Amino acid sequence: MKDLAIVTKLMLKEKRDIFYSIIAGFIAGIAAVGLFAASGYLISKAALAPPLYALIILTSTVKLLGFTRALTRYAERYFSHRATFTILSNLRVSFFEKLEPLTPGIFQKYRSGDLLSRIVGDVESLQNFFLRVFYPPIVLMMVFLSTILFTLYFSIYTAIVLLIGLVLIAFVVPVLFAMKQRKINSQVREERGRLSTEATELLYGFRDLKIYQKLRGKEQELLETSKSYISEQEKEEITIAFSKSVNTFISLFITWVVLGIGAYLVATGQMAGIFLAMFVMIAITVFEDAAAMAVFPIYLNDSKRAANRLFSVVRGDEDSEVESGNWKEFPDDKILSIEMDNVSFTFPNEWRKTLEDITVEFPAGSKTAIVGPSGSGKSTLLQLLMKMYPADVGDIRIGDFSISDVSQESLWSVSNVVLQENHFFYGTIRDNLQLAGDELTDGEMEEVLLKVKLDDFSLADPVFEKGENLSGGEKQRLAIARTMLKDESYWFLDEPTSSVDALTEQSIYRHLFEQAKDDTLVLVSHRLTGLERMDQIIVMDQGRIMESGTFEELMQQEGYFYEMKEIEKDLF
Amino acid sequence: MNNFKAAVSAQKKSFISLFIFAMLTGAMIIGQAYLLVAVIDGVFLKGQTFNEILPLLGGLLFVLFARVLFSYLSGRKGIRMGSKVKSDYRRALLNKYTQDPIQSSLRGQSGKKVSVIMEAVDEVDSYFSQYLPQVIQSAIIPLLILIVIFTSHANTGFIMLITTPFIPIFMIIIGMQTKKKSEEQLEKLGKFSGRFLDTLQGLVTLKLFGRARKQKDVIEESSLNFREATMEILKIAFTNSFMLELISMLSIGIIALEVALQLILFDGITFFTAFFVLILAPEFYTSLKELGNAFHNGRSSMGAVEKITEELKETDVTVEWGDSTLGTEKTPPEIIVQEVSFSYGENQFALENIHAEISPFSQLAIVGPSGSGKTTLMHVIAGLTAPSSGKMIINGNPLNHYQEEQWFNELSYISQHPYIFSGTIAENIAIGGGSEASQKEIEEAAEEAGIAGLIESLKQGYETPVGEAGRGLSGGERQRLALARAFLKRPSIILFDEPTTGLDLYTERILQASIKKLSQHATVITVAHRLHTIKNADQILFLEKGKVLGTGTHEQLINSVSKYREMVAVQQGGMAR
Repeated sequence: MKDLAIVTKLMLKEKRDIFYSIIAGFIAGIAAVGLFAASGYLISKAALAPPLYALIILTSTVKLLGFTRALTRYAERYFSHRATFTILSNLRVSFFEKLEPLTPGIFQKYRSGDLLSRIVGDVESLQNFFLRVFYPPIVLMMVFLSTILFTLYFSIYTAIVLLIGLVLIAFVVPVLFAMKQRKINSQVREERGRLSTEATELLYGFRDLKIYQKLRGKEQELLETSKSYISEQEKEEITIAFSKSVNTFISLFITWVVLGIGAYLVATGQMAGIFLAMFVMIAITVFEDAAAMAVFPIYLNDSKRAANRLFSVVRGDEDSEVESGNWKEFPDDKILSIEMDNVSFTFPNEWRKTLEDITVEFPAGSKTAIVGPSGSGKSTLLQLLMKMYPADVGDIRIGDFSISDVSQESLWSVSNVVLQENHFFYGTIRDNLQLAGDELTDGEMEEVLLKVKLDDFSLADPVFEKGENLSGGEKQRLAIARTMLKDESYWFLDEPTSSVDALTEQSIYRHLFEQAKDDTLVLVSHRLTGLERMDQIIVMDQGRIMESGTFEELMQQEGYFYEMKEIEKDLF
Repeated sequence: MNNFKAAVSAQKKSFISLFIFAMLTGAMIIGQAYLLVAVIDGVFLKGQTFNEILPLLGGLLFVLFARVLFSYLSGRKGIRMGSKVKSDYRRALLNKYTQDPIQSSLRGQSGKKVSVIMEAVDEVDSYFSQYLPQVIQSAIIPLLILIVIFTSHANTGFIMLITTPFIPIFMIIIGMQTKKKSEEQLEKLGKFSGRFLDTLQGLVTLKLFGRARKQKDVIEESSLNFREATMEILKIAFTNSFMLELISMLSIGIIALEVALQLILFDGITFFTAFFVLILAPEFYTSLKELGNAFHNGRSSMGAVEKITEELKETDVTVEWGDSTLGTEKTPPEIIVQEVSFSYGENQFALENIHAEISPFSQLAIVGPSGSGKTTLMHVIAGLTAPSSGKMIINGNPLNHYQEEQWFNELSYISQHPYIFSGTIAENIAIGGGSEASQKEIEEAAEEAGIAGLIESLKQGYETPVGEAGRGLSGGERQRLALARAFLKRPSIILFDEPTTGLDLYTERILQASIKKLSQHATVITVAHRLHTIKNADQILFLEKGKVLGTGTHEQLINSVSKYREMVAVQQGGMAR
C-alpha cells in the first residue's frame, strides 16, 4: 500500500485533468440516465394520447441529452487518458531518479533485462490505477446517488432496491472477487518479467548459444515460459470476464426486481403506470456503467503488485550512497594527493574479501600503475578511489578531505575515467564523444580520433546498442578518446588498452601521457611493459599489496613483480 | 499477411461456436425485450393482476440469466483463441531470431526485439479476444433484431436500414487512419523501450560524464512523446465512438419520434409494439457501436500483426545446411576459406577475397590491427555468417553440405567475452557438453581449465549461481570457464578470439597450456596479438582493412611484409622508446 501511496502522490500532480475527468464522467452518466428515463416516460405518455407539444418537448430533451452524453463522454475519455499518460511519464522519471543514485551498486543485484521489463511493463500496467481504480468509483457513486435521490421522489421502494443494487455491485461483489483474486494470485507480472529476461539473455548470448547448440533448448525454455505467461494471462482474462458477467447478471437482476416491484405496485394501484417504463429504463442504464466495478479488485491488486515490484528495486539500497547533503566544496583548480589508509572492502553477497588492508599514497601529479593478476582487486581499488563504492574499513583522503565528505558528482566531474567495459549508446560516433561536452567542435573530436588512431571513422558513423558493431579495441580507443576530450586533472584508467595492439597502444599512451603531464594518474595495467615511466608501481595479489616502488626498484628487488616480468618475457 | 490469414482460418471450430453463442445471445436479447414489454404493457394498459404476469417475470429471469451465460461463453472462447495465436506468433518470432545469422543479431537494438516478442505479441490478443467475437456478435445480433423489428413494425426497420450504413462508413474512414497511427505508435514504443534499456545499461558511463541528471529529461521527453503518440490514436478512437454514439442517438430519437407519432396521430400501432421496438433499437445500435470500439482494438492489433509479419519477413542470407556427415574419425577436417568476401552493408567494413587453406592439426593465426575484420572472418569460418561471395570448403565439400549439428559439435569458439548464462557454474560448464555431462566430467574439465581450485573454494562450489554476463567472475575466470567448456567438448576445430586479451598471467599461462593440450586433437584458428602464439603458428594470415596483406610463417612475413615487421618490432620492444 505504501508503494501505491507513492503512485497516488505522483498522480495527484495532475489535479486539473483528474477534476475534468470526474466532472465529464458525472455529466455523461447523468445524461444517459436522464435520456433513457425520458424516453421511457415519452413512450408511456404517448400511449395515453397527450397533447403534441408535450411530446415535442420530450423528444427534444431526449436529443439534447443524447448529444450531451456523447460530448461529455468524449471529454471524459480524453482527459482521463491524458492524465494517465502524464502520470506514467512522471512515474518513469521518478523511478529513474530513484535508480540513478543507486548505480552502479544496484547492477550487482538486478539484471538489466529484468529492469527493463520492470520499468516498461510495470509502469504500463500502472496505467490502470488511475483509469480503472481511482476515478471511476467516484463517478459511479456520484451518478448513483443522484439517481437514487431522483427516484426517491417517485417511489421509495425503487430507490431502496437501487441502493441495495449499488451496495451489491460496488462493494459486495468486488470484495468477494478480491478474495478470490487473492487466491488465484495471478502471476502474470512475474511471468512477464521472466519471459522478458529470458528473451534478453537469448539475444545477448546468441553466439555462445549457437555454437554450443543450446539455441533450440533456450528457445524451448522460452516457449515454455511464454506458454505459462499466456496461460496466466488467460486465467486473468477469464477471471475478469467471469466477474464482469456476474456483475452484469446482478445488475439485470436488480432491474428485474425493480420491474417486479413496480408491476406489483401498479397492479395494486399504489403507483401510476406511466412511471413503470421510466423506472425500468433508469435501472437498466444506471447499472450499465457499474459493470466496470467488477474488475476493480483485479486492477487494484495488479496496481499494488506492479507498484510494489517497481519500487522494491530502488528500496532498501540506501546504503549505496549516503546522501549527507552537506558535501564539502571540492577544489577543481588545484590537484590534491590521494591516500588510502588501511582500507578493506567486500562486495555485498560476495564470497571473498576483495581488498584487505590497503595503505597507499598517490601524490599530486604522480603517475601510478597498479598491476597484478585477474581478480586481485586492482579494479576495485581504483573504483574505491573514485568513490564508486564506500570502503568497509579504513579511510580514503583526497588532500584534507575524507572521501565520504565529497560527493561522487564533484569527484567525477574532475576525473577522466576509462573503465574495463565502457558503454556506448545507440547513435553516432559524434553522439558518443559529445558526452564529454556539448560545446566540443567536430574539429576537436576528429583530432582526438586521430590521436587514438580511429581516424578511419567519421563522426557520423553509426554506433549500435552497447557499441556492438565496434571491435573490443575500437571500443577501448573510443572510450579513451571520449575521456581525453573531457580533459580533467585526475585520471583513473582501468586496463584501457587491453584489446589494443601494442603499436597502437604505444602511440596512444604517448598522447595520453603528454596530455596528463601535470595530472594525477592511476592506471590499472594488464601488461608489464612501458611501466618504466611510472612514478610508482603497485603490485597486487588476492586483495593485498604485495610490493610497490619504481620499475627499477622492483626489478632490483627481484620479487613478485620481477617474476611476473620474467614470465611475460617468456611469453613474447 | 498470409500467416495471419492462416492463423485465423486455423480456428474454424472456434468460429462455429462463436456463431452459435451469438445466435443464442441475440435470441435472448429479443426475448428479454419481449417479456419486459409484456409485463409493463400488462399492468400499465391491460390492467392485469400481479399473479397474471408472474409467469412472464419468471421467464424474464431465465432469459436474463441465459443472456449473461452465453455472452460469457463467447468471451471465453475469444480469450482462448487469442492465447493460441499469441503462442504461435511468439514461436514464429523465436524461430526466426534463433535462425538468424549472427550479423542480424548485431543489427538493431535488442530492446526493440524484446519489445516485439513481448508487447507486439501481447497486442495481437485483442484482435482475437475482443474484435473477432464482437464482429461475429455484431453481424448476427443486429440482423436478428432487424428481422424481428421488420415483422413487428416495418417503418422502424426502414429507419434502421437507412441509418446503419453510416456506422461502417465511419469505421472504415477512421479505422484506416488508426491503423497507420498505431503502427507509428508501436514503432515509438520499440524505440522507447530500446532507448530505455540502453540508458539503464549505460547509467554508470552517464554518471561519470555528469550526464545522468540530463538523461532524466530525455526520459521525460520520450515518455511525453510516447504519450502524444498514444493520445493521437486514442483521440481518433474517441472521435470514432463519439460519432457512433451520435449516430445511434439520432437514430433512436427518430425511431422514438416515429413510433410516438404513429401511436398518437395515426393509432397505427399498439403500445406493446412501440415499446418493444424502442427497447430493441438501443440494443441494435449498441452492438454496432461495440463493434466500432472493438474495431479500434482490432485495428491496432492489426498494426501489431504487421509489425510482427515485417519482422518475420526481414531476411538475411542465412547459413544453409545440408545432411552430409563429416568423417567421424578423430582427424579434424581440412578447411579451405575460398575467396571469401563479406560486407555488413553499404559503407560498412568488409572482407575482401580472403583465401586460406588450413590443414588438419595445423595452427592458423589471424593477425592484424584491430578493426581489420578478424572477428568477422572468424564468424565466417565458424559458419555463423554466410559470406557474400566465396565459400568455405570442408573436406572437399562446401560447408553447407554438412549437418549443422555435426559441424558445431566439432567446434569450440572461445571469444573475448564468453557469455556466462544465469545458472550455476556447473551448468555453465555443462553447456559445452553434447548431452548430459556427469559431475565428474565437469570437474575434470574445470581442473584442466585451471578453475577447479577457485570453484572448490566457494561455499556452494559448482552450484554457485553466476549472473547475467557472469557478474561476480573476473575476466580471467570467465575465460577459464569458457576453456572448461571446451575441455568438456573436445572439439576438433577450435576458434580463439583474442584469447590473451587483458588477462592475468596465471590465466594466460593456463590458456597457453590449454591451447597446446587441446590442439593435440584439433585444428586451432586464433586471432592473436601475442608473439608467442604467432611464432608457434604454422600459418599466419596478416589482415588489414579486410584484405590479406600476407600469408606465411612468422619468418616469411618478417622478411616479406614491412608492416608486419613494424608491428613485431613494437611488440618485442614493448612501449619503451
